[in-house]
Amino acid sequence: MVKHWWKALGVVFVIYTLTVGMLVPLKPGITAVSPSSVRTGEQITIQVAGYNSNFKKAQDSIRAWLKLDNERAIAAQNIRVKDDQSVSLTFNIPEYLPVDQRVQDMTLVMDNDADGASLLPSAVFVTQDSIDPAMGQQVWKNADISNLNDKKGITFPFRNILGETIRNTYFHVSLWLAMVSIFIISFVNSIKYLRDPLPLYDYKAKAYTRSGLLLGVLGLVTGAIWAKNTWGQYWSWDVKQNMTAISLLIYMAYFILRSSLTDSEQKARIAAVYNIFAFVALIPLIYVIPRLTDSLHPGAGGNITFGSQDLDNTMRMVFYPAIIGWFLISVWISKLQYRMDIIHARIWNLDDED
Amino acid sequence: MKSIGEIWHLLQKDFLLEFRTGYAISGIFLYLFGTVYIVSRAFQQIKPESWNALFWIIILFASVNAVTKSFVQESNQRQLYFYSIANPIAILLSKIIYNILLLLALSFLTWGALSFMTIDPILKPDVFSLTLLLGSVGFSINFTFISAIAVKANNNSTLMSILSFPLVIPVLLLLVKLTANSIGLIEQDITNDILLLLGIDLLLLAMTLVLYPFLWRD
Repeated sequence: MVKHWWKALGVVFVIYTLTVGMLVPLKPGITAVSPSSVRTGEQITIQVAGYNSNFKKAQDSIRAWLKLDNERAIAAQNIRVKDDQSVSLTFNIPEYLPVDQRVQDMTLVMDNDADGASLLPSAVFVTQDSIDPAMGQQVWKNADISNLNDKKGITFPFRNILGETIRNTYFHVSLWLAMVSIFIISFVNSIKYLRDPLPLYDYKAKAYTRSGLLLGVLGLVTGAIWAKNTWGQYWSWDVKQNMTAISLLIYMAYFILRSSLTDSEQKARIAAVYNIFAFVALIPLIYVIPRLTDSLHPGAGGNITFGSQDLDNTMRMVFYPAIIGWFLISVWISKLQYRMDIIHARIWNLDDED
Repeated sequence: MKSIGEIWHLLQKDFLLEFRTGYAISGIFLYLFGTVYIVSRAFQQIKPESWNALFWIIILFASVNAVTKSFVQESNQRQLYFYSIANPIAILLSKIIYNILLLLALSFLTWGALSFMTIDPILKPDVFSLTLLLGSVGFSINFTFISAIAVKANNNSTLMSILSFPLVIPVLLLLVKLTANSIGLIEQDITNDILLLLGIDLLLLAMTLVLYPFLWRD
């Protein structure tokens, strides 16, 4: 049992990913406001739609601001709660704004003691009738955004557009990282086979390539579902999607090559050669080309990487175990497969001897 | 020094064979002119964008056909004879160089034929010539190596396309982008793309040289 600890760890991590990753709620956030465009000098009432919020419960502690920049904001005059997900805020927009643009966007910040602070960037666009920054400076009644509450309990961050699909990080992204590690193991085994042609290395390379392909298909499917919800369609001909599809084709060709060769020693050797060639040809596909062209994915074409901004510590607590979990489970699957191959080979050899 | 001499002799052998039979070259050129003729009749008017796509599709299929022959044309016994008198790497390199020259001729002929029958949208001939050179090198290395793999299996022409097309896509995407630039469809700095293409070509060449010793022996 002691030497199988890693299988148990893999199962525990995958179950942990599935339960914690799917069950932990999102932090309360703001999904929409209406109207989102206003004029100066108006008293305006904005309907705010909250997500996972408890406006009713926290009725008395709700505060709201329209933030112009880090120093300047205006506070809501009147706050009326309809239900937990909906509240209307009344703001007095001054005659002049202390900026020299015609249209200025403002960020909505809300705070209460049940949900903590939440914000919606560029929630409201203010159109100025006449521009006079000096005048705006005079009439500006500044409100301080201070004493913000924290949300109690464990939550995943709320991001606009992403919403609940942020959980796909534990599936799409971590499956992808696990796939790359599995393909590296397969690559190493092919090199080992060429250096020392033991059938075991060939069985290993084949088994790891097969599980890598499985992870790749799963990563592609989860990615397509995510793309449907965030980019609007399953397949957008994004550069990374194309490269993924091509790399899966390359590894499918590996199996076609294997099945078209008959002699087992020749099959193992040529498959190892193709596997190494394909892996090296894959590096520009996966790592170099997407960085040079525009992509919808984070981390390419000037987009910020996912890790730097969107992965907070709560998500890390699920994300890293998820990668290790998927990896260990795939290693287990591969191990079962190549042990089957060893048994097969042994049985056939026994037949030969009879 | 010895292997350079070997490569030179093997190249001479390949050209002499081609010169005597003329089978491969005439077949490919017939294929090429046939395709170009059909394309130019089917498209009454070709836009530069379509010209780019058509050009590379014609080149892609013509080069797969051209390169597949490099290992198939010799019988096993004769290959064994070559391997016993020459270094395998020299044999591979001579095939790659021969195919580079063949594909270069093929590319420039396609350019000429397609321009003659339809339009010539190329605004920067120098960039396009460089693209054709780098493309021929990339295609030649990739297809020669894969044809060495495919010749070991029985249904090698199908296997050849299955194995080589996914591998050649990165090269092909860069070539299409560079061609679009030399047509004037996109205006941006192409130094990075050319360097990347050169890098991929060198990477493929290095892998080919490392892996071929494991491949030729049977």
